Amino acid sequence: MIDLLSYGAFFLSVALSYAIICLGLNVQWGQTGLFNVGIAGFVAIGAYVSALLTTPETVDHLGGFGLPIMAGWLGAALATGFATFLIGALTIRLRADYLAIATFGAAVAIHLCILNLQSVTSGPFGIGFIPRPFANLADRPLAFSLANFALLAAVVLALYLALEHLARSPWGRVLRAIREDEPAALALGKSAVRFRLQAFALGGAIMGLAGATQAHFIGYIAPDNYQPILTFQVWAMLIVGGSGNNRGAILGAVVVWGIWALSGSAVASLFPAEQQARAASLQIVMIGLALCAILLWRPRGILGEARIMSRHVLRRSPPATPLPSTPSET
Amino acid sequence: MKPAADAPVVLSTHGLVSGYERDLPIIRGVDMKVTKGEFLLLLGPNGAGKSTLVKTIAGLVPVHAGTIVQEGVDLTSMPPHLRVRHGLAFVPQTENVFTTMTIHENLLVAAQILPKASRAGRIADLYAMFPDLLRLKTLRAGQLSGGQRQMLAVARALIVEPSVLILDEPSAGLAPRIVREVFDNLKAVNATGVTTILVEQNVKAALAIADRAIVLVEGQVRLEGDAHSLGDDAVMAELYLGARHPSAEARP
Amino acid sequence: MTPQVLMDGLIAGAMIGLGAIGITLTYSILRFSNFAHGEFLSWGAYLALAIASGLGYLAGGPASPIGPFSFGWTLPVATLLGIALTAGLALLVDALLFGPLRNRGSAVIILVMASFGAALTLRSLLEFIFTSKPVYFTNALQIARPLGGGLRATPDQLLMLGLAVVLVLAIHLLLTRTAIGRSMRAVSENRQLAGVAGIDVRMVIRTVWIFGAGLACVAGVMSGLLVQIRPQMGLDLLLPLFAAAILGGIGSVPGAMIAGLIVGVAEAMTVQLIGAEWRAAVAFVILVAILLLRPRGLFGRPE
Repeated sequence: MIDLLSYGAFFLSVALSYAIICLGLNVQWGQTGLFNVGIAGFVAIGAYVSALLTTPETVDHLGGFGLPIMAGWLGAALATGFATFLIGALTIRLRADYLAIATFGAAVAIHLCILNLQSVTSGPFGIGFIPRPFANLADRPLAFSLANFALLAAVVLALYLALEHLARSPWGRVLRAIREDEPAALALGKSAVRFRLQAFALGGAIMGLAGATQAHFIGYIAPDNYQPILTFQVWAMLIVGGSGNNRGAILGAVVVWGIWALSGSAVASLFPAEQQARAASLQIVMIGLALCAILLWRPRGILGEARIMSRHVLRRSPPATPLPSTPSET
Repeated sequence: MKPAADAPVVLSTHGLVSGYERDLPIIRGVDMKVTKGEFLLLLGPNGAGKSTLVKTIAGLVPVHAGTIVQEGVDLTSMPPHLRVRHGLAFVPQTENVFTTMTIHENLLVAAQILPKASRAGRIADLYAMFPDLLRLKTLRAGQLSGGQRQMLAVARALIVEPSVLILDEPSAGLAPRIVREVFDNLKAVNATGVTTILVEQNVKAALAIADRAIVLVEGQVRLEGDAHSLGDDAVMAELYLGARHPSAEARP
Repeated sequence: MTPQVLMDGLIAGAMIGLGAIGITLTYSILRFSNFAHGEFLSWGAYLALAIASGLGYLAGGPASPIGPFSFGWTLPVATLLGIALTAGLALLVDALLFGPLRNRGSAVIILVMASFGAALTLRSLLEFIFTSKPVYFTNALQIARPLGGGLRATPDQLLMLGLAVVLVLAIHLLLTRTAIGRSMRAVSENRQLAGVAGIDVRMVIRTVWIFGAGLACVAGVMSGLLVQIRPQMGLDLLLPLFAAAILGGIGSVPGAMIAGLIVGVAEAMTVQLIGAEWRAAVAFVILVAILLLRPRGLFGRPE
C-alpha cells in the first residue's frame, strides 16, 4: 500500500515535470502560434545549467558551484530564456516553418555540444550528485516522494495561476490579437514581432525551469535524456490536452505520461528480454499514430481550447489562398 | 449578343447554398439561369456574396446544398480543372495571372488541356485578338500594368474556347479609360457567342453592355431583369445605386 | 587540408543535394517543410536492401559484382523497385494524413506537425522491423583508386556523383521545359488559379510526392552504399537536407543540389579541421548564417 502510494507520488511527480514543459510550450504554441521542434534542447539547457550551478565542486565538469537549488532553477530559467530568445530573434520574422527548422537544428546542436564539450558537461557520462530537494527525507521513501510531489505540484500550480493571469492581462490580449488577426498583427508591425519574441522566450524559460526540476528530481542527467523523442512526447501531451488551454496542457501531460508508462510496462511484460529494445519502438509508433490521429480527428484535443486556438488551427489555408480574409467581398 | 427569346439555358444553379465554413453559408439559396450567348451582370452591395457565388460556380468554394448544372452536366462536386474542360472559364478578381511566368508561359499553361496539335494555333488566335500580348509575350506577368494583366487573364481564360466566361470585377483598380477598354473587349468576346457573367461595382458602365442583370443581397437573389429597365428600377436605386451615388443620378 | 577533402565532401554533398530537392519541391508546391522527408531516405534504403536480398535469394546467392563496382545486378534493379515503393509510401502518407489536412485548409504549421508525427512513426516502424543494428548492401571492401592530382575515389563514389548530376539535370529540364514542369510551377505560385486554369492540382501534388520520394530513395541507397543503413539515417540527414534546401533557395532544384554540395564540402572540411564529432553541427551553423544573411537563399525568389 505504501509502496503503491509512493509509486503514485513518483509517477505524478514525473508527469508534473512534463506538465511544466507543456505549460511552456503552450505559451509558445497555444498562446502565440510559434512552432518549437527543439523542446528537448531547451529542456537540456535548463537541466545542465541548474546542475552546474548546484552540484558540489568537481573536476569532471565546469563548476560545481554548490549554489542552492533555487538559484539553480532561476539560472536555468534565465539561461534557457536567453537561448530561446536568440533562436526566436533569428527566425521569428521569417516564414512560420523556418522557426520549426531552426529550433530543430538548435536541439541537434545543443545535444552535440553537451556530448562534445566534455570539460563543461562531462560529455556522455552525464552529471550525477545533483542535489535533490528534501534530501534529508531520503531515508523515508514515502515522505520523500510526497514532499517532492508537493513541491512539483506547487510549482505547476503557481505557473498555472501566473500564466492564466498573464493570458488575461493586456499582454496576453495583444498576443491573442496578433495570433488571431493578421491585419492587427501587421498594424502592430515591429511591436508584434517583439510580443511574439517575448512569448517565445518566456515559454523557453519555463521549459528550462522544467528541465531543472526534472534534473533535481532524478538526481542524474545525461545527454541521451534529451533526444527528439522528448520533444515528441511533449507535443503529444499538449495536442492531446488541447493547445491554448493551460489545464489541458497539465491534463495532457498526465494522460500521455500514463499511457507511456503503461505501454512501457506492457512491452516489458509481453516481449522477451532480447526483444524489448525493438518492441519499445512500437511505443513510439503508437504515440506518433496517436498524434496524427488527433490532428486529423480531434484537432482541439481532449479539453479543447478555451476558444482561443480554433480559427487559427482549423481555418485559413495558407497556400496563397486569401479566401477567408479577402477584404473586398463575402 | 442579345440572345433569342427561346435560347437554351447553358448554366443554372438550383437552391445553391455555399460558404467557406459549414455553419456559415454566404450564398443562401440561389436559383439562376443563364441562356446561351447572354451577357449577364451580377450586382449587389458589398458583402452580398457576388464573388462567393461566382467562385462557387468555378469550384473554389464548398457547396453545402443545391446544384450547379452546365449544359446538362452536373458540376456541383467537380474539381475546378474539370469544369474548365467542360467549358467554364473563370477570371478571379485578384491574383489572376501567374506573375512569375511570362505572358507566353501563362497562355501555354492554360493551353495544356487542349489537344497537342491545336495548342499553338489557339495561342496564335489569342495573340491576334490581343496584339498587345504578342508584343509583350516574353515579359513576366508580374511586370505588367493592371490593364495588361486583366487582358492576359481574359486571354488565358479564353484559350480553352469556353462556352461560359465568368469574370469577377475585372475593372477593380483600373483607370476609367482602361475600364472602357476592358469592357469593349468583353463585349466583343460576348459577341462571338461566349455566354458571359460579369460581377461589377461599376454599375452604370456595366449595365450599358449587359443584356440582363441579377441583384444579389445577403446571399440571395433580390431582383432580376432586363439590364436597361433595371437601371431605372426604384428598388434597385434604393438598394444599390442610391447607396453608392447619393445624388441618385440613376433616377429619372 | 587536401583536395581529397573536397572530393569526399562532393560525394556526400551529392547525396544531400538529391534529398534536398525533395524537400524544396514539397516546400514550394505543398507549402510546408516536411519533417518526414528524411524517413523516405531511410525507407528507400531499407526497401532497396530488402528487395536486393530477396532477388539474391531467388537467384540462388548474391550476384557477382558488376565491373569495378561493389554490387551486383540486384542492387540497380532493387533501387528501381525501391523508388516505386518509396513513392508509393509517400502517396500513402499523403492520402492518409496530409491530403485530408490540406483539404480541410489546415494551417501550414499543422501540416509540419503532422509530418513530425509521420516521421517518428515511420522511423520507429523501421526500427521495429529491422532493429537499430546497422546493415550494409555489400560486404565487399572497395579500394579507392587514384584519379590523378592526388585524388582518390572508389568506383562506387564516382558512379554516385555522376548519377546525382544526371538526375539533377533531368529534373531541372523537366521542370523548366515540359508541361508537367509548368504545371508544377503554376501550382507552386497559386494553387487556386492553377485549378481555374485547367491544371489537375491533385495530379501535380501526386507527381511532386513521386519525384521527391523517388529521389529520396536514390539518396538513401547512395548513403547506404557509401556509409551504412540505419533507421536513424534519415533523422541524422534531416538537418543537412533542410540547410541545403534553404541555402539553395526554396523551389530551386539546381540551388538545392549546389547547396547540398556546399553543405557536404563544409562537413568534410569540418571533419578534417575540427573533428568528426562536430560534423552534425555544420548544417546548423550554415542554417543560422543563411537565415541571418540571406533568408531567401542563394537562388530563391524574394518573398
